Amino acid sequence: MEKTVRILNDEGFHARPAGVFVKKASEFTSTIEVKAGEVTKNGKSIMALMSLGLAKDAEITIKAQGPDEAAAVDACVDLVNKKFQA
Amino acid sequence: MSFLDRFLSGSKSKAEATGALSAPLKGRVVPLEQVPDAAFSGKILGDGIAIEPSEGLLVSPVNGEVVQIFRTNHAVGFLSDDGVEVLLHIGIDTVKMNGEGFRAHVKAGDKVKAGDKLVEFDLDLVRAKAKSTITPIVVTNMDAIASVETLRSGEVAHGQDLLRVTPKKA
Repeated sequence: MEKTVRILNDEGFHARPAGVFVKKASEFTSTIEVKAGEVTKNGKSIMALMSLGLAKDAEITIKAQGPDEAAAVDACVDLVNKKFQA
Repeated sequence: MSFLDRFLSGSKSKAEATGALSAPLKGRVVPLEQVPDAAFSGKILGDGIAIEPSEGLLVSPVNGEVVQIFRTNHAVGFLSDDGVEVLLHIGIDTVKMNGEGFRAHVKAGDKVKAGDKLVEFDLDLVRAKAKSTITPIVVTNMDAIASVETLRSGEVAHGQDLLRVTPKKA
């Protein structure tokens, strides 16, 4: 299960967004990955997500695999669309 | 990490084995709860401490690798040789300064030793333009960490032991 979204908040995928994203992703048992270009990182690791260095308007694909993958992808996509306002 | 790797890394110097992070800044120690940003004070990014700097020089708190330096040079992420992920974030709301006043001496992938120069910054400019100069130092892989202890309060100088981070046993 995967969906592609665009980052909308001005600061990009920086510290606070990464923290909020990992908190949400960690609520699910599925593995969650974030792919940007050719690079794929663990969606449950703050440092891994920050290392993507994504700015506003960057496109990412959120992939989940596991028993709650559909809910996980939807929740993570929703968070990005809401500019990481949990 | 294999058993052999763990065994070999365990045979390094005793100082490293304690997992102490040294102060990356000179200034005043501030509890994380008092940082004026909920992402840090609420520990969403992890546990740690903050320093209100009195000098614009950031040095490495660990021996390890620079995982990430944000394009505006105001935030640096590390993976220490002990497996601790550490994020240093100079000031609050400094992302809006777009890199003005920050000069990086390292890049992602660089190996660093504790005390190596990372970023020089214009402290007066940060005071004038950002919400705060208070700089959080947080451990971001808390799922792998048993405890984070603060070793110091009050004034601190570059390189003094600041935090003891104990990874969970394998």
